Formats: sequence, structure tokens, C-alpha cells
Amino acid sequence: MNEPVAEREGSDEAPDDLAPSEFADLYTAHSRAIYYLTLRFLGDPQKAEDATHDVFLKAFRKMDQFRGEASWRTWLYRIAINHCRNLQQAWHSRHLFSNADEAVWENTPATTDSQLRVLETKELGERIQKALDGLPEEYRLLLLLVADEELSYEQVGALTGQSSDAVRGKLHRARKAFAVLFKKSDPLPEHEASIKT
Amino acid sequence: MKHQSKLNPEQQQSRQAGAEQQTRQQPALEFATAEELLRYDAAHTPVPAGVERRLQQSAGDLPRPKPAWWKRLWGGTQP
Repeated sequence: MNEPVAEREGSDEAPDDLAPSEFADLYTAHSRAIYYLTLRFLGDPQKAEDATHDVFLKAFRKMDQFRGEASWRTWLYRIAINHCRNLQQAWHSRHLFSNADEAVWENTPATTDSQLRVLETKELGERIQKALDGLPEEYRLLLLLVADEELSYEQVGALTGQSSDAVRGKLHRARKAFAVLFKKSDPLPEHEASIKT
Repeated sequence: MKHQSKLNPEQQQSRQAGAEQQTRQQPALEFATAEELLRYDAAHTPVPAGVERRLQQSAGDLPRPKPAWWKRLWGGTQP
């Protein structure tokens, strides 16, 4: 990979233009988190792929507006959340609801996984998606953000427009609601993943 | 030379059934919280390679962005 940004901090002169390696570093560090959020928020791998592309392109264009008050991750999440909400509003206004294409789901798990692993991960992903789709948007977003260990409750609160105490309170209800929906989506209770309640 | 099985048809059937049962009885995955489950799912959900390719193309067509004002003054932070 390219030279990390931190190692260039000693340079006396800031470059006039942003080095391409810096954007590559940004993509490497955060693309998985952004893709996962868009995937589970939108519920469609193809739309998530497009959204991830659009989010990073927007970030590339607006990097000079990044004020350094938030972390890069938080800044990218903010762009991603706004982008996903805009997409959903546009779809809803056209009354278009589409389910994820089965063929696209096949491509989602890691290629290094064994056949059984792929099948299992695919089924698990579908169950998670079903459960998330059944939640109010607020709970869905809260769970997805809290699942990112790089974010504090304060940062999740800032991203969702509430205090960290409110995040904690709602998180409890969101967990419960998710666990109920996840259990409902279980086709073979004795063989599948479960959440302790 | 083709390998001949020493098992009779019943034994073969029984072995096959055992293997299928073993396949079905994968150890159950158990998670303490929804976030833990989502973290596991995220770890098994790679970003499709096509995103990076498309992004390189799209960003290549644009002028390079200027670094942020604070970065021009004080240097960068790790992305």
C-alpha cells in the first residue's frame, strides 16, 4: 500500500493537491464499514455498491471541506447516511420497492470461504436483512452504527442527532426488537445462529 | 486403476447419511447482542472489487481535490 499519511506529517510544505495515495488510504480504511452500512440500510447489494461508490466520490470532491472536527469515519458515515436517506426518499416517492436479487446475494460472501461457509453466510445475511428491514429506520441505523467498534456512543449520537444517553436508552429497545425479528426469521432453530435474550 | 470401495451398498448409504447429518449439524453460532451478530456479518461481507475500479475511473476524471484548510496549516491525520 502507499505511504501512510501520518508518516508525511513532518513535511514543511503542504502539497497544493491531495496525493492520490491519501484517498486510497481513506478507501482502504473505511470502505468495508461504509459498504456494510449501505448494504444493510438499503437491503440491496447492487444499490449498496452504487451508494458506496457515490459516497467515496462525494468525499473525494469535498475533501477540502473536511474540517477535522470529526473523525474521517464519522464524516464518511454522515455522507453515507444522507445519501441512503435521499435514495430511499426518492424510491418511496416513486412507490418503488424492490427485493434484493438472489443472484447478487450469491456474490456477497468472501470468495475464500468454502462452499458450506458461503451458504451459511448467505443465509445468515438474509436473516439479518429481514430482521433489520422489520425495524424502524431509527433502530436499524442505531444498531448498525453501534456495531462499529470505532464509534463511541457520543459519535453515534452526533450522527443520529441525539445525546449519548438517548442512544443507550434506544439501543436497549432496538436490541430487543431485533432479537425478536431475528428469531422469527429462523427456519431451522437447532442449526442456525441465535442471539441470547 | 479405479479404486473399488470395500463397503457394501448399505454401509455406503449409512456412511453417506452420517456425512450429510454432520454437514447439517454445523455448530450453532451464538451471539450475545445484535451488534455482535452484525459485527460478525460485517466481517464476512467484503466490498465488491468493482467499487474500487469504478471509483478509480470516476475520480480519475476529476481534478485533484485540495487538502483541507486545517491540513494545509498543521498537516494531516491518519485517515
